[in-house]
Amino acid sequence: MNYLLHILTMIGLSIPNILGYNLIFGRGKFLHFGPIATSLFSSYAMFLTLRETGNYLSAFFVGLLASLLLSSFFAWLALRLESDALGILTIAMHLALLSVVLNWSSLTRGALGLPQIPRITGMLSLPVFASVSIVIALLWIFFMVRVHRSWLGRELSALAENRAHAEALGINRARVTLSAFLIGGLGATITNTLYPQYIGLLHPNDYQFSNLIFFILCVVAGGPGSVRGVVISIVLLTSLQELIRFLPLPLGLIGPMRLLFFGLILIIAVYIRRKEIFPMQRSV
Amino acid sequence: MKKALSLLSLIFALSACGAKTETIRIGYIGPLTGDAVSYGVDTLNGAKIAVDEVNAAGGVNGVKVELIAEDSKCNGADSASATQKLVNVDKVVAIIGGQCSSETLAAAPIAEAGKVVVISPISSSPDITTAGDYIFRVYPSDALKGKALAAYFLKANFTKVAIISENTDFCQGIRSSVKKDLPPGVKIVFDENVDPGTKDYRTLMTRLKDIDFDVFITNGQSDATVAEMAKQLRALGMKQQMVGTDTADSATLGQIAKEAVEGLKPLSVPMLSEADVAAADFAKTFRDRHGEPKATMFFAALAHDATRVLLQEIGKAGSGEALKDALYAVKDFTGIAGTFHFDANGDVVGIPLAMKEFVNGMLRQSEIIPVE
Amino acid sequence: MQLLLNALIAGSFAALLASGLSLVYGVLGIFNMALGQLALVGGLTTWWLVSILSLPLPLAIAGGILITALTTWFGFEFFVAPYYRRHRFLPLVTTIAFSMILDGLILVIFHQEPKTIDVGTRTLLPVFDALISSQQIVLIVLTILFLALLTWVLVKTAFGRRIRATVQHPTAAESLGIRSSLLHRIVFIVSGVLAGFAGIYVGIDQNLTPTIGFAITIKAYAAIIAGGKDSMKGTILCAYLIALLEQLSIGLPWFGSYIPSGYQSTVALLVIILVLLIKPQGLFGSKTRIA
Repeated sequence: MNYLLHILTMIGLSIPNILGYNLIFGRGKFLHFGPIATSLFSSYAMFLTLRETGNYLSAFFVGLLASLLLSSFFAWLALRLESDALGILTIAMHLALLSVVLNWSSLTRGALGLPQIPRITGMLSLPVFASVSIVIALLWIFFMVRVHRSWLGRELSALAENRAHAEALGINRARVTLSAFLIGGLGATITNTLYPQYIGLLHPNDYQFSNLIFFILCVVAGGPGSVRGVVISIVLLTSLQELIRFLPLPLGLIGPMRLLFFGLILIIAVYIRRKEIFPMQRSV
Repeated sequence: MKKALSLLSLIFALSACGAKTETIRIGYIGPLTGDAVSYGVDTLNGAKIAVDEVNAAGGVNGVKVELIAEDSKCNGADSASATQKLVNVDKVVAIIGGQCSSETLAAAPIAEAGKVVVISPISSSPDITTAGDYIFRVYPSDALKGKALAAYFLKANFTKVAIISENTDFCQGIRSSVKKDLPPGVKIVFDENVDPGTKDYRTLMTRLKDIDFDVFITNGQSDATVAEMAKQLRALGMKQQMVGTDTADSATLGQIAKEAVEGLKPLSVPMLSEADVAAADFAKTFRDRHGEPKATMFFAALAHDATRVLLQEIGKAGSGEALKDALYAVKDFTGIAGTFHFDANGDVVGIPLAMKEFVNGMLRQSEIIPVE
Repeated sequence: MQLLLNALIAGSFAALLASGLSLVYGVLGIFNMALGQLALVGGLTTWWLVSILSLPLPLAIAGGILITALTTWFGFEFFVAPYYRRHRFLPLVTTIAFSMILDGLILVIFHQEPKTIDVGTRTLLPVFDALISSQQIVLIVLTILFLALLTWVLVKTAFGRRIRATVQHPTAAESLGIRSSLLHRIVFIVSGVLAGFAGIYVGIDQNLTPTIGFAITIKAYAAIIAGGKDSMKGTILCAYLIALLEQLSIGLPWFGSYIPSGYQSTVALLVIILVLLIKPQGLFGSKTRIA
């Protein structure tokens, strides 16, 4: 029934972006806290173009370009900076981008958002949209499994475990990093082509920091770097978010309970996975 | 194991959908989490009071009404999920919501497709006017606020206006309406927008000090920010008259910024008028059951009226398309916030405005602004 | 002139937060993402003691600090201790979890409405052509004193030396008999206490709402990144500098017109971005870790 289809669609839509993030953060162990920034930049570029041209092809192209550009920038940063600096800087970029979107209202309509985003012809009904998003998600999963098993996956892990050794073996850090970030950017673009269409609205409120926490939670809970694990955790955690609606909680308590609940899940997940998230550095 | 369990319970919960009991179900969507939670709580409580009133009087055509509330967290994605659940799982007849404009806009296409009426108590974005046939709202158009303030400026002989607005759809709507309806001879001499939630206005106030202005509009999204605007304005020694919007119509404001808001005039609805027994009753019921409103009584009143007019028309027309047409046909509904009806787009016409004033930390009615 | 005073007010607040963060980074090498929430705990508890229990202000402040210290200690035991030795970045994620849980608890206990700590009427005092209230002066002076005390402890006392030894070489320090895990606990709790003071500061000067937690944390990070994560003096200085920068960027016209004030907090973010791009160790930091 419709509600189930809706949940399936939401799951399918999140998969490209979060799996892409899994490659960067889960496998490559880059402290990249800016995937929402990439999403935000890409969707605004895309849908502002759509407003101008009315043509989805050109809009997609612009959105993809924007996403790849920003991802390359993040890759460059990842090459230059220590991990903790990267983390802080990507958070700063995310917040700065949000601020620009909100304040440059002559361009982006600021706090009003972009409403009435049309769906691509043929995708108007919920069952069709759900099927399309599931198919795309499955294709992407297949693609990511291939990536993880390829040279990129191996070299990413090697670099993450011990950079000096990996480079001594001839692994090109720049190439590996750039590829990982670009794939992440592609995933973000795919998700953000479909998502605002599905809701019919592009609004900065959907790109807040709390979304990043959900990403991190999915990757950590599923096992960083594991495609299967992360997909399962996306399915379960998205369903869980919806399941909470069915709990008979006193209404003043729903909000705080959700925060507490997901905070607890996060800390439990980190505890269980504490050995895998960041490989133990061997020091003297 | 934990994961399997949660999946199982999800299936369980979903299988319970479609179970019908003998009640009329209406849904509520609002931010029960996040920064906007004060609006959610107030509007939900207002709607609850309305439902309780109707049920106490025997329900709608003898059938009890059930209110199912969902949290939409002031963003489109969660509002879409909430609407999906209400429309498809709970099979509600109509929805009171969203509160944030992004919530209403996201709910609109789903409700339209499901032929479910949506009445938003407080969404103010101009985009909602064209959001759909099934989409209504009882929040007086911002255009009226602009006209009311313009009338006030003329009356008080203010010609130079300063305004600081938060960057939210609500505040920006008011700002554009003020700018649009400025009477000739009145200019805006200071117009700044700040990040939502900003509490530090000192820089702006420092700049403002050097500017010649007669009146200052505290266009904040919440009483927390309005309090700071007022306090910091006065802290720099500026004594000009301050004017506010519904967000300034809050008892908490009088408590946390008592000296600063002295004389501040919020533009809101004539709610506290002693002559209006119904309003006083509502306020008392609200306070008895839920304490002070977290945002303002006005929002609760709007949610209440939206629910009452909805339930009244459900009694006559049932649901779906007939309900929609009935709502458009409503001639004059007298609610707590005023007597109103809906125009061809589903926007409300007729809720009057009034200016109040803070005296000694308490709100007093100041003047009623006639609205055409 | 007024802009300078404004910067002093905002900067003191940031400095309190950032100095605690800098301590934690210097000694434990980790980032605490729950700092804003700890500040809120301090401010809200003090508010509660003042408004609900009607305690006199000094007692309420003491109570607020005590509760913050306890909360920080609890946070350390459950969210930091099991993880920080394993890898430096784990606590980044775990403190995010801690901050979410604190946010939830704060909402449940204190709800959404803004709260302000009432310290009596504000009298305005003129300083040159600017105005400042007596409370703000007290707050600024207290902050500066406090920070000076902190720096003095670090540099001049034996205790401070032990801390710095642990920073420079944890294993060597331990082999000299310095109990680093106790030191770690103390340092972490001190940073929480500093945050609590900052929260009380905001409660007195402005008002407290449950959602400011994250924004506060980011402000503190801007100061640390700019000042150099391992330089306490640099961090404090940069806290004030960034505050000044924010005031100047919005308060003065640039090339004839004013920058839209929505960008005021973006200034701090831009500082982070620029500093990290150009001089990742921070303005006062250096490539190797020194206290």
